[in-house]
Amino acid sequence: MKRAAWCWLALASLLSAQNVTYERLVHALSEQQNWLTYWGDYSAIRHRDLSQISTSNVKSLRVEWIYQTGQPGSFEAVPLVVDGVMYLTGGNGYAYALDARSGRQLWLYKHAFPPGRKASGVNRGFAILGDRLFMVTPDANVVALDARTGRLLWQTEMAPFNSGQYTATLAPIVIKDKVIVGISGAEFGIRGFIDAYDAATGKRAWRFWTVPAKGEPGGETWLGDSWARGGGSTWMTGTYDPQLNTLYWGVGNPGPDLYGESRKGDNLYTCSLVALDPETGKLKWYFQFTPHDMHDWDAAETPMLLDLNWKGRERKLVVQANRNAFFYVLDRETGEFLMGKPFAQQNWATELDAKGRPILTKNPGPTPEGTRLCPGLAGGTNWMAPSYNPQTKLFYFAVREQCDVYYTNPPVYIQGRPYWGSVSRGVTEEPEWGLLKALDPLTGQTKWNFRYFHAPWAGTLSTAGGLVFAGDQDGYFMAFDAQTGKNLWRLNTGNPIVNSPMTYMVNGRQYITMPSGSAVLTFALPE
Amino acid sequence: MRIVGVAVLVVCSSAVWSQTGLDLADGKATFRGNCAFCHGLTGGGGRGPALNLGRFLHGSTDDDIKALIQGGVPGTTMPSFDFEKDELDHLVSYVRHLAGSSPHRALPVAGDPLRGRQVYERSGCAGCHRIGGEGSVFGPELTRIGAGRSAEYIRESVVNPSADIPEDYAGVTVIARDGERVTGVRINEDTFSVQLRDASQKFRMFQKDEVQAVISETKSLMPAYSSLSSDDLQNLLAYLDTLRGDLNAGAGVKREKGIR
Repeated sequence: MKRAAWCWLALASLLSAQNVTYERLVHALSEQQNWLTYWGDYSAIRHRDLSQISTSNVKSLRVEWIYQTGQPGSFEAVPLVVDGVMYLTGGNGYAYALDARSGRQLWLYKHAFPPGRKASGVNRGFAILGDRLFMVTPDANVVALDARTGRLLWQTEMAPFNSGQYTATLAPIVIKDKVIVGISGAEFGIRGFIDAYDAATGKRAWRFWTVPAKGEPGGETWLGDSWARGGGSTWMTGTYDPQLNTLYWGVGNPGPDLYGESRKGDNLYTCSLVALDPETGKLKWYFQFTPHDMHDWDAAETPMLLDLNWKGRERKLVVQANRNAFFYVLDRETGEFLMGKPFAQQNWATELDAKGRPILTKNPGPTPEGTRLCPGLAGGTNWMAPSYNPQTKLFYFAVREQCDVYYTNPPVYIQGRPYWGSVSRGVTEEPEWGLLKALDPLTGQTKWNFRYFHAPWAGTLSTAGGLVFAGDQDGYFMAFDAQTGKNLWRLNTGNPIVNSPMTYMVNGRQYITMPSGSAVLTFALPE
Repeated sequence: MRIVGVAVLVVCSSAVWSQTGLDLADGKATFRGNCAFCHGLTGGGGRGPALNLGRFLHGSTDDDIKALIQGGVPGTTMPSFDFEKDELDHLVSYVRHLAGSSPHRALPVAGDPLRGRQVYERSGCAGCHRIGGEGSVFGPELTRIGAGRSAEYIRESVVNPSADIPEDYAGVTVIARDGERVTGVRINEDTFSVQLRDASQKFRMFQKDEVQAVISETKSLMPAYSSLSSDDLQNLLAYLDTLRGDLNAGAGVKREKGIR
């Protein structure tokens, strides 16, 4: 009976293959066997109702297949899985389609770089609509591929390459007929933006500048002409609420990163969450986590959308564990600040005021001689994805416990050169370490911690099997009891894990995928 | 007309001066952010050799110094740096400026190196350290310690070794299930396992869930030689200062981790 049901499902999948409609994306969580967006759905909850692999049998989990790209660098892409086919991007302009059961390659795409352009850089994955896949490239192009063949359909330059100044790394998000992407390069003196392109033609539909020009609303938060090189990269994928028709996007640090004298003011909309109308790119509201940042604390961390009972009332929330070491809860209809609690060691803010603005400590921030400041440049957490389990009502994420000595110095702008305004380095006497933290998003209180020896760069996945999957900097891929934090299973993958795990199902069998190094590792229970 | 000419001259000369000042300031910023960590804020040395003595170990021309910065020093903790040409020029100018402004001279360390060698042998230093092919791999190699560390740093390392413990020689103690305590130099530690080298130079490897405790030692595994007479200490420093051999001259190549 069970087998017959899965055969029927497989047949239905075949019929609907390469037809990922917008409706399917909106209801991505009703296709638990698939993983249709970078986040798995639009809300970025990263929880799956799959329980075949559970606390009782995870000890038997083993490697099912390994795909080696042979390319240098680490996989930072979370794959999509659509009806048995896995689509993922690698570094340096490569992309792949694989049989999700065997890991066998179906096609390979290699982006053609014009002569003289850099061909290196990480990439975080695809978006899909219909039979089209969308990715960005290290030379700041948006590319559309035929999902059936890997053939190039169209390619649009987001910004002039300008000797490596602009680059792109993120997985796009598709909303209705638009492919929405962000840009990287705040370390090179760019002015950031979020772009929408027509999925059929590649024609740009709108652009939202994350740094307003002089005279525009918010432009008064920049000294002189500093806005023109104000940074504000948008290097991680946004999230989307179809009911509110609102797109949520974390904006990166101001430039120069560690020098603030030339850009006095709050520097909107850097280190902020912006809520946009995806039809027009118009700003609905914003919330700035770190005004006038001088620590490279991008707000690129996942803006997860949760509907929870907040103090007796059902509310639409957006939560973010920010790089500045505070966990934030906002009302996602209005942007109202509801709560902010520190989750890692920090010495830059005594607290947040009633509107969520930080009250600064006496720490002077970066100085020419160097100042010890926590969290370090990489932040209390970073771009690696968190997850939320509706059963345990806990938010699982990777915490980096590490301080840096921050230096500052006025930089000289030269096109294509780093525009940092000085450097940071770890405090020698203080070893770094990390946590997998289970946090109650309603209170900011920790339910449990699992301590890592080194500060991690890997995200989490939650499943209805009562499990949280996570990785660490020493190469361990691990499964934990979601209630208690007990480590139930682990495997050393042989490379620091710099990615977030995902899960899917083919022919009734659940798989877990965790890329590590230049390999895609997929796990399953023995048949 | 003459007045204008003078004004132009003043503006031009001040532009030249300020360009030089800016270059030095740029070099200073680069130095503070990248070099001071090991060589000291004013180049007085520390984990790395002093740079304010006008004595450079790998050649004294600007090109020598640039090649060293770009290539690093294999077998030491000096990493390679990828600076733009003008950054490198400004950095080298600043390093030369440090040497020019220092009252110090590149004098040999006071003391008798031959007597110092006897102190080294008598005190059992070779039980943990090695020079050339002789000695133990338990502690840091000293084959070119005189080239790699300032005399003041070495003095501190002898009398108070816990003042600065190189990351690669941090101590760790494992208490096994049967109560055995195993102390050694941490080769690697992660969330689930630890690998160390004990004083007999053997690898000892443990899974953390199979032992009672893993304790990071906050003090150096090297005993403090604070009871050496001042003559013995000075002679030992003089001896260590003469050790400027090639780490790679032996059978093997040792690669240490670069600084972060």
